[in-house]
Amino acid sequence: MSYAKVVTITSGKGGVGKTTVTANLATALAMQGKRVVAIDADIGLRNLDVVMGLENRIVYDLVDVVEGRCRLAQAMIKDKRLPKLTLIPAAQTRDKMSVSPSDMVLVCDQLREEADFIIIDSPAGIERGFQNAVAPADQVLIVTNPEVSAVRDADRIIGLLEAEMKGPAQLIINRYKPEMVARGDMLSIDDVLEILAIDLIGVVPEDEAILISTNRGLPIVMQNGHAPSSGIAMRNIALRLQGQDVPFLDLTARNGFLDRLKSWMGGG
Amino acid sequence: MSTETASNHISIKGVRDGLMIAISSLPPFDEVDHELTTELTQKRDFLRGSRVVLEVGGRKLSREQLLAWQVFMAQNGLALWAVLSMREPTREAARDLGLATRLPGSQMDLQGNGRPDLVREPAREGRHTAVSNPHNNNALFLYETLRSGRAVYHEGHVIIMGDVNPGAEVVAEGNVIVWGKVRGLVHAGSAGDTTAVVCALDLSPTQLRIADRIAITPPRRGGTAVPEVARIQDDQITAVSWN
Repeated sequence: MSYAKVVTITSGKGGVGKTTVTANLATALAMQGKRVVAIDADIGLRNLDVVMGLENRIVYDLVDVVEGRCRLAQAMIKDKRLPKLTLIPAAQTRDKMSVSPSDMVLVCDQLREEADFIIIDSPAGIERGFQNAVAPADQVLIVTNPEVSAVRDADRIIGLLEAEMKGPAQLIINRYKPEMVARGDMLSIDDVLEILAIDLIGVVPEDEAILISTNRGLPIVMQNGHAPSSGIAMRNIALRLQGQDVPFLDLTARNGFLDRLKSWMGGG
Repeated sequence: MSTETASNHISIKGVRDGLMIAISSLPPFDEVDHELTTELTQKRDFLRGSRVVLEVGGRKLSREQLLAWQVFMAQNGLALWAVLSMREPTREAARDLGLATRLPGSQMDLQGNGRPDLVREPAREGRHTAVSNPHNNNALFLYETLRSGRAVYHEGHVIIMGDVNPGAEVVAEGNVIVWGKVRGLVHAGSAGDTTAVVCALDLSPTQLRIADRIAITPPRRGGTAVPEVARIQDDQITAVSWN
């Protein structure tokens, strides 16, 4: 009997791409054959359903489950495109206090036997919503952007997780722009890791296609045909979550022929 | 811990949070001084690291004599923090050195020595001499990186093996020593000690304060970081490389 791993995606700062990462990781894991339940813990500001394109199918939500208005299975929305993927949406008309950390642990424990991965989308902040999202986690992924304020908040979150003995968190650097880093206008991966000093599990490049996919409710990892590097990066994170050793994408900016020549010759 | 020692005029006793050293009031100073230093030297490995309360009864002690003992103890790994005396001039001298003259609470074993109540006496404020050694060699050692949002306040020195990240705060009445990078806020000598220093392997805090001065780190000149010590010089905070 398999037993699900609970992975919480959090960041401290808002707008760094937690929900996008959650939707794509959950989708990628399901595409890779895993049974996945995605839970939106951002009660009052639910988004995950929109990004996953499942908004119009919501009948019951997480708060309904916790307050006993429905069975857990009734709140689980199956993604028709991917039979192994289900979503438990947040309530939009309630607030974070309607769920407690122990409720979250209870819900996840009920799901553990029928899933391989439970992916929780945490709200921004360090208050109740964050505590709810982190309480059941076996593993925490922290999403940050290569910018000073996002890194500062990620550092705070890591400190809080350390204090809660939540084990080592892993880092996803999202919206990375190699050209800006090459110009010295953006923090590099090393700059971010120097401050945060935790393991990196993925770097997702900035990509307009993500915005489009988010608006369409079609996670980028689902898109067939030419796979944008952001989608590949997301799939690779999903593989790493399963313990696979996938090499990191080469995201160094190569602008001209000379740069390429240098890197061929091993000097770049 | 209870280590009764049989010296003629000195008794060293383990109490709840350190040592109580009682010195007989009768023999001349030179004699007890010799006994005390001999005793502490012999037992230094055993006693090292303790906080010391000195119980001097009715003996008159000058500021210089107390200072000499304080320094001697510090050199032997002991932190003198309180002097209990029946005489006000001796208590005054102790307070001048930043030492307590009464103990908080009354749990300590007092061996029947006639002493008035044992309540905490508020520290005298505004006395310049009182800040010359406010921290009594009392240090807090942290073997970790302080991340954003962490705040450490300590009445003595603070030693950190790790980094102080941006958004973290260290406030110490004594010195701050960081075996790592300092990127957050550090305040040394927070009770007014203008001789306090801040040292780090890589000193580029968001803001650096010593006593009531405030400095902002200039942007790095490029190159790699070198260990630096910051202190007040010519009335402003100056950082110089350690060599």
